[in-house]
Amino acid sequence: MPELAVQNAPAKPIIALEGIGKVFPGVIANADVDFDLRPGEIHALLGENGAGKSTLMNILTGIYRPDSGRILLDGVAQSFNSPVEAIAAGIGMVHQHFKLVRAFTVAENVHLGWKDTPRFASAQVLEARTRELAERYGLAVRPEARIDELSAGEQQRVEILRVLARQARVLILDEPTAVLTPAEARTLFKALRAFRAAGNSVIFISHKLDEVLEISDRVTVLRGGRKVVTEPTANCTTTKLAQLMVGREMVLGGLREAMAPRSEPGRVVISLQNVSAADDRGRAGLIDANLEVRAGEILGIAGVAGNGQRELSEILTGVRKPTSGQILIEGVAVEDPSPSLFLDIGVGHIPEDRLRSGVAPSLSVSDNAVLRAYTEPPIAQGILFKPGAADTLAREIAADAEVTLPSLRTPIRNLSGGNQQRLVARREMRIARLAIVAAYPSRGLDVGAIATLLRYLIDLRNSGVAVVLISEELSELFDVTDRIAVMFKGRVMGLFETQDADLETVGLLMGGQTKQPVVQTVEAA
Amino acid sequence: MSGLQSLRLVRVSAVSGRRILAARVLSFIAALAVGAIVLAACGFDPLHLGTQIIKKSLGSRFGLEDLGLLLTPLILTGLAVTVMMKIGLWNIGADGQFYIGAFAATAIGLFVKGPEPFMLLLCFIAGAAGGAVWILVPTLARAYGKVDEIITTLLLNFVALLLVYYVATGPWRDRTTGTVASTGRVPYEMPDFFGSLHWGFVIALIAPVLFGLLLRYTKWGYEIRLTGANPEAAHYAGIPVRRRMITIMLLSGAIAGIAGMLEVTGTVHRLQGGISNNYGYLGVMVAVLARGSPAGVIAGALLMAIILNAGIILQTQGLTTAAVLALTGLIMMFTAVADQFAHYRLVRALPQAAATAAG
Repeated sequence: MPELAVQNAPAKPIIALEGIGKVFPGVIANADVDFDLRPGEIHALLGENGAGKSTLMNILTGIYRPDSGRILLDGVAQSFNSPVEAIAAGIGMVHQHFKLVRAFTVAENVHLGWKDTPRFASAQVLEARTRELAERYGLAVRPEARIDELSAGEQQRVEILRVLARQARVLILDEPTAVLTPAEARTLFKALRAFRAAGNSVIFISHKLDEVLEISDRVTVLRGGRKVVTEPTANCTTTKLAQLMVGREMVLGGLREAMAPRSEPGRVVISLQNVSAADDRGRAGLIDANLEVRAGEILGIAGVAGNGQRELSEILTGVRKPTSGQILIEGVAVEDPSPSLFLDIGVGHIPEDRLRSGVAPSLSVSDNAVLRAYTEPPIAQGILFKPGAADTLAREIAADAEVTLPSLRTPIRNLSGGNQQRLVARREMRIARLAIVAAYPSRGLDVGAIATLLRYLIDLRNSGVAVVLISEELSELFDVTDRIAVMFKGRVMGLFETQDADLETVGLLMGGQTKQPVVQTVEAA
Repeated sequence: MSGLQSLRLVRVSAVSGRRILAARVLSFIAALAVGAIVLAACGFDPLHLGTQIIKKSLGSRFGLEDLGLLLTPLILTGLAVTVMMKIGLWNIGADGQFYIGAFAATAIGLFVKGPEPFMLLLCFIAGAAGGAVWILVPTLARAYGKVDEIITTLLLNFVALLLVYYVATGPWRDRTTGTVASTGRVPYEMPDFFGSLHWGFVIALIAPVLFGLLLRYTKWGYEIRLTGANPEAAHYAGIPVRRRMITIMLLSGAIAGIAGMLEVTGTVHRLQGGISNNYGYLGVMVAVLARGSPAGVIAGALLMAIILNAGIILQTQGLTTAAVLALTGLIMMFTAVADQFAHYRLVRALPQAAATAAG
């Protein structure tokens, strides 16, 4: 239960945002958002990915300039040109991706770029100062440790300490628990409550409902860049918040009509039986997944990014090897899954992080276009590789993707993110005879391009290809999928026929909540 | 806020080869100018020294022969380093592989008897195998243990150097002429075709071209390029990344070993302590100059050979070794600076009118 700050009358806000608007090319990130922060409160900012939470906070801290609206600080209009000015005014933000120098010690990071840092100071002096700060704010850090050696939770404490050391009155945390273990999250919450008790304020960005209910005093919900509501947390329940966050209206856009009706379930193309897989750090990334991917259907994978989707998509394409369980392709168990095996049988893969694994940024567009086709004629002839044939294929893919290229010799990193994504998507669709696994294919695309892309996935489905669509956009999943599986913390939490699924249930499952927790039922009985 | 227009340096990520080349030519001239000023201040006549260098290195038959003899090992060690750069790894051990290539070729040359062409082929194979063996441990450590290849290849240089010193001054030392620093003469010699310049030079010229063609026109070459550019993407494309890495590292060692073999059978005809002449380390510089282009290795090696040759000539004109080294370093430093500066462009900064007007 949230501990409500003792307030008789609402205090005058420290920060007030009025009518904030921000447009990026093709995207309305914020539109007419009002927001206020009172002294001594923890104010949660809740919304799906892309709802405009981070943009709003980046505007507040001077990373972006608003296109419209104004910022009031203690009732006076104010605008920051950079985060340095914001922190000087007592507003500090801890970003989702830490901004620490990995090769430096904790003490050095805390003192970096701080006007109070002694001009000439030995490591001992800096460490002693850091130790003193850590005690004052109740944040356990090891001043002499290098950032490299620290866990994510420890790194986060260093980030928070950096901000607090600069006498911040307002602490903004962007998805702070995404990288934390439950124990670390509890420590964080304790520190936040202590900070609030001293009369300071916290803006807590999250999409996890239970956390918001636990830690915040008030909650503001954003959806599609607009503010939906601001409510005292005490009036909220997970169900209500999930409804507010996801919204009821969906943009169908005629996509559903393009999907040929299914008379019966398609044959099972890829089947996972109790498959588990380790993530990049060797921890459990995917746990006991049972999933059937069927021909002629789009299977949606819902969930907040980082809940096992990467591992799942890599298992389905042979890029990652399972630690246990079995993968069956058309009913036959695969002994030694490998990328080339899945390539040979016609499984396309649009990876979630194209620069990391989908393309070689420094190689030409042409070289990247043939990445999945270079072993076969006409690109390959015996041991030979034919650059001319590669160019031809690249030109075809670019034409399909409606990307105009300056030259086929340009390194692919010189293209915009959206164009890279389109090229990769078309390249993978070409090889998808049996199935395609598309992880966040609409990332970086504008609305028109997203519709085109989804349309192509539907065409593949209608022609009998099995499609797996991993997405954070529930509206996208409800628009084009036949079935939806929900993932949370590496597990498949539930599987629904899309036509029978309701947003609320899916939204709750994404946050690890079920509509009626089992424990409650038992207690009631 | 400010309406002032100011000039700013902006970094651009992709730079054309032409721009780099132009920057380098400028930097080379700048380095020569600085060198000339220093030489003049020390009482030398820079113009006279300059003409001497050009006359003696490029204007005479002996000079050209020497240039060719320097070029041969430089191209090959430069190529050895470039080959590994192509897959994203550094071979700092070309010097050691050079020594072991020379060592293996000498062993065959001294202790096996046979008809000359056959024996040369055998020495060639031994040299290549020696270089490959010398990088085998770093290769396996890198491929299976992710051990940094820079350290392992570098440290093995000293082991190779000491091994060669030991055999050249100990068990294999020349007992006919009584010199203590080298082995006896290896009886098999690479045939010459231009004065003292031997066919090893031709091998050295062909090797980078051949490697460049392999990269561009074979499936294997595509796989190497992809693995070097992004190992994760290569894995995703179905390429056995580890196997390609192992092949490339062994190939790199073999090329450096061949350089050592050619040095023994073509140029020095004996194994001696200082036979590598730092060619392995200079190969790293050649590779950096070549920026990963196999054909560029030839150009880089040529520049390096001219600098080395000029150094020898300058020493005959009374300059100390230290001054020559300083001049060499000056040129290298200016080149490195030029490569960085080629990435910057001077732009007129626009006032932020659009941004402020909206607020």
